[in-house]
This record gives sequence, C-alpha cells and structure tokens, in this order.
Amino acid sequence: MPTDSAAELLVETIDALSRRAPAIVAAAAKEMQGIRLALHFGDASHASLQASHSRLLARAERLPEPDVEVHFDDRSMNLLFDLERRPVDELAAGSLDVRGERPSVLAVWRVFQLLSQRASGLRAVQALWQAYRDRRPRPWGALRETVPAPAATPAPRRTGWRALDYLAARHPEELEEPDAILGGTVGAPARVLWDGRTSRSWWALPATHDADLMETLASCKARVREELREMIPDREPRADLYDLMRAYPAREGKGLRPTLTLATCVALGGRAEDAVRTAAAIEMFHNGFLVHDDIADESTHRRNLETLHEEHGVGLAVNTGDAMNLLAIDAVLANLPTLGLARTLALIHEVVHMCRETVEGQAIELGWIRRGTVPEADAEYFTMSTKKTGWYTCITPCRMGALCAGVTDPSLLARFDAVLRLVGVAFQIQDDVLNLIGEEALYGKEPLGDLLESKRTVMVIHLLRTADTATRERVGALIRTPRSAKTVADAEEILAAMRGHGSIDYAVALADRLAHEGARRFEEDLAFIPENEAKAVLRQIANYVTTRPL
Amino acid sequence: MPAVFRPAALRPAAAVAAALGPDGPFPDVPLGRVRERRWLHYALVSRDHELGVVANIAWLGPSPEDPLRRPRCTAILLVHQRSAGWCASQFNAHTLSPPWSAFRAPNPHGAPGRFEIAAASGRVGLALDLVRSSRPCTSQCAPFADDQHLRWQSETGVLARGDLTFAGRLFPGVAAVGYHERVRGYWGWPELGGWVFGFANDPAGPVDAAPETAVVFTLIQPRDASDAACASVMLWRRGRLVRHFPRRCVTAAVRGALDRDRVQQVPELANLFGVPPMQPIPRRLVIAASMGRDEVVLDFACAGAARIVIPNETGVAPFSVHEVIGPCDVQGHLGNRAFGFRTHGIVEFAGGADAD
Repeated sequence: MPTDSAAELLVETIDALSRRAPAIVAAAAKEMQGIRLALHFGDASHASLQASHSRLLARAERLPEPDVEVHFDDRSMNLLFDLERRPVDELAAGSLDVRGERPSVLAVWRVFQLLSQRASGLRAVQALWQAYRDRRPRPWGALRETVPAPAATPAPRRTGWRALDYLAARHPEELEEPDAILGGTVGAPARVLWDGRTSRSWWALPATHDADLMETLASCKARVREELREMIPDREPRADLYDLMRAYPAREGKGLRPTLTLATCVALGGRAEDAVRTAAAIEMFHNGFLVHDDIADESTHRRNLETLHEEHGVGLAVNTGDAMNLLAIDAVLANLPTLGLARTLALIHEVVHMCRETVEGQAIELGWIRRGTVPEADAEYFTMSTKKTGWYTCITPCRMGALCAGVTDPSLLARFDAVLRLVGVAFQIQDDVLNLIGEEALYGKEPLGDLLESKRTVMVIHLLRTADTATRERVGALIRTPRSAKTVADAEEILAAMRGHGSIDYAVALADRLAHEGARRFEEDLAFIPENEAKAVLRQIANYVTTRPL
Repeated sequence: MPAVFRPAALRPAAAVAAALGPDGPFPDVPLGRVRERRWLHYALVSRDHELGVVANIAWLGPSPEDPLRRPRCTAILLVHQRSAGWCASQFNAHTLSPPWSAFRAPNPHGAPGRFEIAAASGRVGLALDLVRSSRPCTSQCAPFADDQHLRWQSETGVLARGDLTFAGRLFPGVAAVGYHERVRGYWGWPELGGWVFGFANDPAGPVDAAPETAVVFTLIQPRDASDAACASVMLWRRGRLVRHFPRRCVTAAVRGALDRDRVQQVPELANLFGVPPMQPIPRRLVIAASMGRDEVVLDFACAGAARIVIPNETGVAPFSVHEVIGPCDVQGHLGNRAFGFRTHGIVEFAGGADAD
C-alpha cells in the first residue's frame, strides 16, 4: 500500500522501526517520556508522536494541545532520511519550525537525531523513504540530478577518482546485494585504508549499533528450518513418527532461538553456518518439550493448530517428543567434524544443563498445580520461569552460539546468563499477558488457555496476593478445579478479577521494568562483544520485549 | 574420478639453495635466525574464471633445537572452484624440488617449466607447464619494527596450462594466467601486522602472449602505527613494467563486509583447534593510483575467501592470511590512452585476528 502523505509515512516508519529495530524506538521513547509532539507537514497532513513505556505511538492525526509542535515543509521532511545530502547544507530558511518549552524542544530534537542517524542506516527504512520520494519528486528533483550517475562501462575519459570517492559514488547492486543468513540489513559507508600518507588497518571496522531484526529473524528461521528438514530421516515409520516430527517444527514461530544462536556466533567472530546445526538442535529440543508440555498441561492448541496429542493421541505424541529429543542430541554430536571435539563436548555439556534446568522448572510448576498451591512471591515465579523456559529460549541459545564461535571461557559464557534471564522472564510475562488480552490469531494459542490450565502466572500470583479474602477463596477454588471440569466462564471470571485488581497492569509494568533492566545489563555485561551487526541483532532482541505491542 | 597425482612421487620441498634464484636483492646467505623467511608464491586464475590457484612454498630459519641448523620448509596449495569454494592441502604439500620459479636462471620467455604441487592426500593438486611472458618488477622493500623487513619481487603474466585436481575431481587441460613472486625477509607476525595485496591480468589477447595489461598492488600495514606503511601500484603493458605508482600516488578504500559463511578456514585441521575468530573481510576494495596524467582504478568485489591459519613461530596465536577471489574492474589512462577490462583477480588480506 503506497504511502501518500507525510504523516502516513511517519506512522509507517515508526511502525517499521518498532518491529525491525526496537532498540532505536526504545532509545527515542526514553527521550520522549511525557512529551506530546504534534507534527505538521507541507502536504497539509498532521501526525502525533508520544511515548508509552518504551513504545512510540505515532498516529496520522492532529493532536490537540501538544507540548511541542514541529512544522516541516516538503523539503525538510525529505532531508530527514536522505543519505545523499547533509541537511545542514540543504535546509532552506523557514522550512523547519519547532515550538515549545526549551527542554521539550531539545528532547524532541534528540529524538529526531536518533531516528535520522540510527534508523537511516536500515535498508528497509531507506527503501520506504525512497519509495515516498520517488512518488513525490518535485520538491527535490532538481537536487537529485546533481548526484553523479554511475557509469555502466569503463569511462573513456579521465576518472579523477580517489578510492573513497569512487566507492562512495559507485556501488553497483550486483556486487553488494546482501545474501547472508545474518547481516547486510544496514548500509555500510566506505572507509579509507590508505590515503597516500596514513594507513588504517583493513580489519578496523567501524562500529555498527543497529540492525533489522525482522529480516534477520526471517532469514535465520528459514535456514534453521531447512536444516531441521534435513535432520529428520526419510524412512519408516513415516506416518506415525517422522511425518509428525517433520510437521510439528514447520508450525510458525518467531525464530527467536535460531536468531539468538546464529547472531551470538557471528557477533563473536564465528560463521553462521557453523551454528546452524546447533540452532536446529535447540529447536528440536524445544519442539520435543512443547509436545510433552502440551500433554502435561492438557493444552488443545499450539501455534494456531491442534496440539499433537489432540490430533494423533497421547501415545504417539509422547513417542514423537522422545524422538525429537533424541534427534536433537544426535544433531549436537554431528558438530564433531566441523567444530572439533572440545567445542562439541562443551555443547553437549550445555545441552545437558539446559535439559536439567527445563525439567526442574517443569517439575516446580507441575508440583504447584498438583498440590493446588500458588506461590506468594514473584521471585518464585521468576525462578520457575527461568528454569522452565528461560534457559532453552534465551540463555542456552546464546551460550551455545558463543561456543560455536569458539568462546569456551566460562566467565564469558556466564555474562549471558543475567541479561537473558531478565529478558526471558519479561518475555514470558508478556506472553502470559498476551494469552489473556492478545488476539488469538497473533498469539497462536487457545484464548484464555493459561487460565483454563490454571497456569501460575504473575497475574495470578498478584491477584491472590492483593485480593480480599472472598475473592481469593473464589479464585483459589477455580484455580484448583481440574481443567476438564473448568469452563470458559470460570476463566472469564478469573480474568475479570484480575482486571479489577490491576493484576494485568501490574504484570505489564513488571515486564517493562525487567526488560529495561535486561537492556541495561546487555550493554554492561556484553560489552566484551565487538560492536557489529550481529551484536546489533542481539541488542534489538534485548529491546524487543520493551517495544512489543500489547 | 581419481586424483591425477601420486604425491608420494613428489617430495616435500626441502632444498632452499637453488630455489630462490640469482643474487642481488635476494642474496643467497644461509637462513640463520628463526624468523628469517624466503617464499615462492604462485597465484593463478583460469581463463574461464572457473578455477583459482594459490600456492606458497616457504623456507624458515632453523629451529634453535635443531643441531644441524636445517631450514624448515612448508608448502601449501589452495584451489578454488567457483561453485564449490576452496579446497586446500595441509602445510606439508609435496612438490617437485626445486620448484619452478621465474627468478631462477636460465628461464627464458616462452619455454615451459614444470610446476607440480599436491596435498599429501592427493585430494587437491596441480601439474602445470608454466611459461614466463613478462619481466619482473624491481624489488620492493617494506622496513618496520627496527630491523624487520619484507622484500619482494613480482612478475605478472605467468601463463599456465595443465591439470588440476579439486576435491579429488580432475580438471584436465586448464589454461590459466597469473602471478609469481619471491619474498625474502626477517619478521615476526605480530610486528608485521597485515597487508593487502592483489593482482589482475587483462584476459583479452592471445593465450600464449603476455596480457595486454596487468596490475599489481601492495599495501603493507605494520602493527605499530609509527612504522610507515608501504603502498604501491604497478602497471604492466604487454609484459613490461611501464608505471610504478609509489605510496603518495595511491589511495585505497573498502566497503561492507564479506559474509563469513563465504570464508573457509584452511588447512581443515585448523578448524579443530581454538583459533581466534577472523575479522570480517571487506566486500569491496578499490585501489586508485594517479601520477601526472596516468591513472588506474581497480575495483575488486570479494566473492569467496579462504583464511589460511599460519602457525606463529614466536607465540601460540596463529597468523591469518585471507586469500580472496572475485570479479574486478580495472580502468585507467596511460600516456593519454584509456584502457579498461573486467576479469577475476586474487587479493590477499593478511592479519586482522585479535591474536595476530
């Protein structure tokens, strides 16, 4: 759908950045806190921009009583994301007007700087704005012609090029088209190695702080899915085992784990291909755990489809889950010829640790359900959540990615733990919130499934901690009711109590706080990783939780 | 298909005395110190750009533990196939002794000399007739870190015809054109830092004659910033060196990074050890040189690379040399005449790993 007005373009850009580069949005939202910004454009369209927690809310509408107003004419609007010219050289007098209290104006200015400097490197954002410019060429058409056109063939005249000018002005797409599993989502400026007097090492790369998360998730997920297909044997019994194993991982997921594994490996100097098999093994473990977890939780839906035991019966589902775990161990062992003995043994050690944490977490939660108890403190939930899902969803994928890159120092591997524990718990809390208030089509599980399963979430813990005695007893009784005897009306009653006691708002705020702490620890604890595009992907994931739409 | 080579018939290259050619810039004095080095380097690209070859035979000063003070020798061969990447020997490749060199007299133009080198396993190898078509440049020298130095002499337009084996598959009757170099010096890898080197030969013209145009560039980047880096671009026309653009006349720039999945680590044995991570190799490299009215621009796109992990004689951390192959455009002016061609070249990016 083409974007016709400047206001719509702004909304589209913020939306794209929220999905593709959450770290930029989080940084901009931090500057914007409390400021109501109104934007007016030369094409008579209007937009508003405000921050909510770490999210930027942009709407193509006129905002009444703003704190800061900004008027762009077409030309200044165009310059925001135009990498070909420096705005300071091109901005005409009066084409940009900013009004408001000085601290707020300065904060807005910092937001513009952030968005224009960091986001303009993303190829997806460049494409969005280029398409807009191409549809509205008049205000800047004359300027574009001043850019020298690349010559298709060797020029029959003197080139006059110096190396940097040549690279900056001529970059044929066929030579630079990004084709990597991971990387190439941000434009890289040319840099000088030798200017006739001084030398800069060819390996001294400029730091890259941002990357396109969405594209990276998609490419990592696709590559790992391909590896998963190759891992599963094509032999009998197909219908009762291997076809089930093949079909289950094909269900749509976000691709978070594969991306964490591959990005960590590449960020630390490894090859993405060296981590693909490991990432596929983690996915296989994950699927095996899910199959068993669905049986234990009596879940009916997973990723918008019936759970495996609902579709094929408990016996086949248990066996398929076992086979997935077995095949995953086989996949880790298959790293031996490429990664060598030391790294493969270290990977096996990680896998064993991950499995132990996961089964311990599952045991804690199942024990609560069996005894009909609900923990009193959030910390108990954090421990259970970290063990049950945090390790295999966030921590282990990063640690194993680092091992694939050859990082075996336990003190360096441990740096991932705290960061990803925080991110993992925040992510899990948000997932629990989405199960209650999210759209089923987006979430993929049955609506209110967690309440029907009596899952001990932060919301449940908060409700039982803060509710009056009568409510606590009523909700406690409903939670202790077996799933088979529980109705949707029961689940809706618990949900209403949660809304009444602010449990969902509490959970959203808690997740936000943990995610912020995780993003902060990311910068501190993982400072040993060089600033490259793969690390930028990890940074986007650390911030993804903070900007995820709820 | 069986490999064409029976490497046992070849011998590890050990004789250094006759290997490096006449005296002059490369006096034939004994290799006395551990870090004294002599090399013969070969790089070829087949005329259809399907195959690329890099071979290096190196002699190093004797180990202090060796009572006989014998120089140590290593030889490695890498072959690149466009659709399959690189295949390499270990450092113990077998070769004819003494190996062919343009710098060993007598070596007249047009007379083929045999050059054979193969992995001990026979998985990769070559048996080529090499023919000189050009004349070498005057020797170049890069001094750094007190008494350390790297001296080299290049010859472009080496014509080759013969058989190649890549991953056990025979490619008979391959015609290629390339580059040959001898190196003499005394250096430690950490002090050397790194270098960027490459060449391109104009593929047009008769296959048995010197390339119409050939370009060689070198940028030595010592680790210590106080050491002067050394840059040069040299231009050959029909076998004769016609221009040498010295350091002030040369600029070099890079852009982007090659996907690491396109970089193979060799020898394969290195993958099993804890080798420090490699640095991203640039995706594009442009070398521009101008002097008076003469100029040349070389635009190289990195398509695939091999990282050779070279053991360090003075420390645990290895050194890395990245052999990169890919298409390149060359254009320029010489004596008021424009020239330009598109071909495939080989570039070396050396150094870069943290521990290098």
